[in-house]
Amino acid sequence: MNWLYYWYIEFLSKYNIPQIVGDITFYVIPFCIIVAVLLIVVLILVLVERKLLGFFTQRKGPNRVGWWGLLQTLADAIKLLTKENITPKKADRFLFNLAPYLTFIPVVLALGIIPYCSEFTFVNTSTNAILYIILAAFPVLSIFLAGWASNNKYSLLGGMRNIAQVLSYELPISFVLLSIVVLASSMNLTGITLAQSTLLGGFGWFCIPCALGFVIMFICILAELNRCPFDLPEAESELICGYNTEYSGMRFAVFYLSEYSMLFANAIFLSILFLGGYLSPFGKYLSTYFLGDTVVGNILLYFEQVFWLFFKSGIIIFVIMWIRATFPRIAPYDLLKFSWKFLLPLSIINLFGIVIFKYIMGGAI
Amino acid sequence: MTVTTFKLNLGPQHPSTHGVLRLILELEGEKILSCEPDVGYLHRGMEKMAEKMTCVQYLPTVDRIDYLAGFFYSELFIRNIEKGLHIEHSKKTKAIKVLLLELNRIASHLLWIGAFLMDLGATSPFFYAFREREMILRYFEKLTGQRMMYNYFTFGGVRRDIDYLEDVEDIIKILPSKLKDYERIITKNPIFISRTQGKGILDIKTAKNYAITGVNLRASGVNYDLRSFDELYRDIEFNPVIRNEGDSLSRYLARVEEISESIKIISQLLDYLKKAEPLKQNLINPLTMRLPEGEYYSEIEAPRGLASCYIKSTGDEKLYRLKWRTGSYYSVNLLRKLLVGNYLNDAIAIAGSLDIILPEVDK
Amino acid sequence: MNYNDFKTYFADAEVTEDKVIIKDRLHDTIEFLATKMPFDMLKEITAVDSGNGETEIIYHMYSDDGNEDLFVSTTVREEAETITDIFKSAIADENEIYDLFGVKFNGNENLKRIYMPEDWEGFPLRKDYVETDERLAWNNDSHNV
Repeated sequence: MNWLYYWYIEFLSKYNIPQIVGDITFYVIPFCIIVAVLLIVVLILVLVERKLLGFFTQRKGPNRVGWWGLLQTLADAIKLLTKENITPKKADRFLFNLAPYLTFIPVVLALGIIPYCSEFTFVNTSTNAILYIILAAFPVLSIFLAGWASNNKYSLLGGMRNIAQVLSYELPISFVLLSIVVLASSMNLTGITLAQSTLLGGFGWFCIPCALGFVIMFICILAELNRCPFDLPEAESELICGYNTEYSGMRFAVFYLSEYSMLFANAIFLSILFLGGYLSPFGKYLSTYFLGDTVVGNILLYFEQVFWLFFKSGIIIFVIMWIRATFPRIAPYDLLKFSWKFLLPLSIINLFGIVIFKYIMGGAI
Repeated sequence: MTVTTFKLNLGPQHPSTHGVLRLILELEGEKILSCEPDVGYLHRGMEKMAEKMTCVQYLPTVDRIDYLAGFFYSELFIRNIEKGLHIEHSKKTKAIKVLLLELNRIASHLLWIGAFLMDLGATSPFFYAFREREMILRYFEKLTGQRMMYNYFTFGGVRRDIDYLEDVEDIIKILPSKLKDYERIITKNPIFISRTQGKGILDIKTAKNYAITGVNLRASGVNYDLRSFDELYRDIEFNPVIRNEGDSLSRYLARVEEISESIKIISQLLDYLKKAEPLKQNLINPLTMRLPEGEYYSEIEAPRGLASCYIKSTGDEKLYRLKWRTGSYYSVNLLRKLLVGNYLNDAIAIAGSLDIILPEVDK
Repeated sequence: MNYNDFKTYFADAEVTEDKVIIKDRLHDTIEFLATKMPFDMLKEITAVDSGNGETEIIYHMYSDDGNEDLFVSTTVREEAETITDIFKSAIADENEIYDLFGVKFNGNENLKRIYMPEDWEGFPLRKDYVETDERLAWNNDSHNV
């Protein structure tokens, strides 16, 4: 990212703007890029999800707007944006309007700290991983806010369910993350990625020593994303639409957008922690293998790294959607029981196991 | 600490009340303290209509009492009228009626499986169940010209001879393999088991006290299947499905088993129907038909419990009084007791497992 | 089924093959049938308007021990005894009869208009019912323009 930063400072100095302004305003640029890319990714994700669900249930899915239904989500988005924004009469107007945007902001921030390729991390702090966990749990606040401000009993129940759910699933996530930190000896996401870089390729990833942690983390992320079978806060057959029952138009679209962005971000996070992030599964990057140390090879290398990261998270997203088509919804008390009685002890055991493993292996990994 | 309770209005517009049922729930958190069902949003005055119309005018509306099991109600009404006119049916007419009734039962149970799983939050089985139901509805459409409101049975027989039996053959050939698929995706699913096992337990005494009939009663361990005493089913071998647990899971399993039982009944009839001679029946001229004075009562085992029809006639061309008994009406009444003490999400599953359909409730 | 005991308790009841016609003591009769005899299920309650202000109410009881049906018939005007304390299914039936026939069941607190709107006048299944409600005006022939 440094080249972009230097280019920006140089660009400002041509117009005699002091560097401090550049330091502060620089971060606007990457986040604009993230939002732009995110919109496209979400449009694709929604379409893919509908196509996949159609495939699983022997339907065709959207196939009218554009070739293969490609423009369907765009049409839906336009429809949502042109709809009337209704605020219930007795709702808390300020919080009601604020909530959707509060959900969206942490997602964008979370995407900003992710290493997309070896040279492309917008904000690279030494404790990225912890920061990500905090940001990923943040939407629960705004979801509860939305549920509470709507002045609707269904929304309130949805918000309450969400708080209970996220609180109990944060702990196993933290323990699994700790075990990864122990394995990688780093709290930085790039550091974690590089710690998985061996000549063995896919066999050096943390999903092999920490397989139990991978499963736990996957389940917890499903719960945190409110995805099936943990989609309790918006359980359609029980709470109509849960916390966003009263939302319509643009605000609903923002909820929808942040939901899918979170899905995308968490899939990337999971593939960084366990599936080697942007590393190639073959141990060697294809572009350097075929093209050598040429200019084209070096540029293609970045694209290849981004491709691997997106490919891995794509597989995770596919599995999440597959689960949605298969499972019924779990009951709220079973969900809490499952976390406190099963996942949490298991994740602690996993942490101890990893510590012992690390101790025995010494500096080998 | 004070515990506050609040009232939640579940329905009449709610995704999982299967129509326009309204439940006024009193909740403490998500726990249900009391439940008060409110029905009548779909009331069409079926009983009043019967007093204003002649029997032949009334016949097509009867299918609409339960749009998922139209054959049952028209058979029930016709059976009750025929009781007064002393009409005997040929063996083939009976076989046709049983075949269609059982196919209709399968279609109704299939839709219930889909809707029940939808209540539990699983979306795919809904489409699978509809796919299989579609085969049956296509056959009905071919035979009767209608997908749901058949108006096919008539006083003294059926409107036309049975046909397209190869379609029925296909259906009963395909269905058992699909039921195995359901078992793989639903019955062996641990979340499904945890959501249904031991939930909404209906013991024999409560079931009888609340006049629950049909599959729900048999899933509680009472061997009461009207088909065992039915004239139509006299020569047919079948075993009533009895389960003893009385929870949501047993109600689900009982319905699935009942589908395979119905397939057995159909396959028994198919061989006979393929070889049978052309249809002979003594149809009545409905325009001159007069039901003799008296009281008539008939029952039938409908998919959603016992359905009965009471008719009082004064010998006029219009009926003096007609009363329907439908299974769902009593299932709704049962919700007052069965939901109390459960959590909201279980309540949805329990109400779903009783197979309530609102046009039947509201009549 | 053996009705000898029943006949001694309720001497004025008229017992035929599958129908019992009683004049009063409805609650006691049903309770006797439900507790002392094996009729542990009340399938339905049917009401028929006799046309002279009286309503015949038929209780359809069932015993799965021997698959036996029994109709208990009684005639009431305006008011009747509730049996919801014996059979909970009667909550539904009595409510329906109240709504459509206007028979009040003393002791049943749940009675309300279920099918008809709450402000509806008259009880539609009575023989003396006249449609006067303007909400049904579209139904009349004179209204067909």
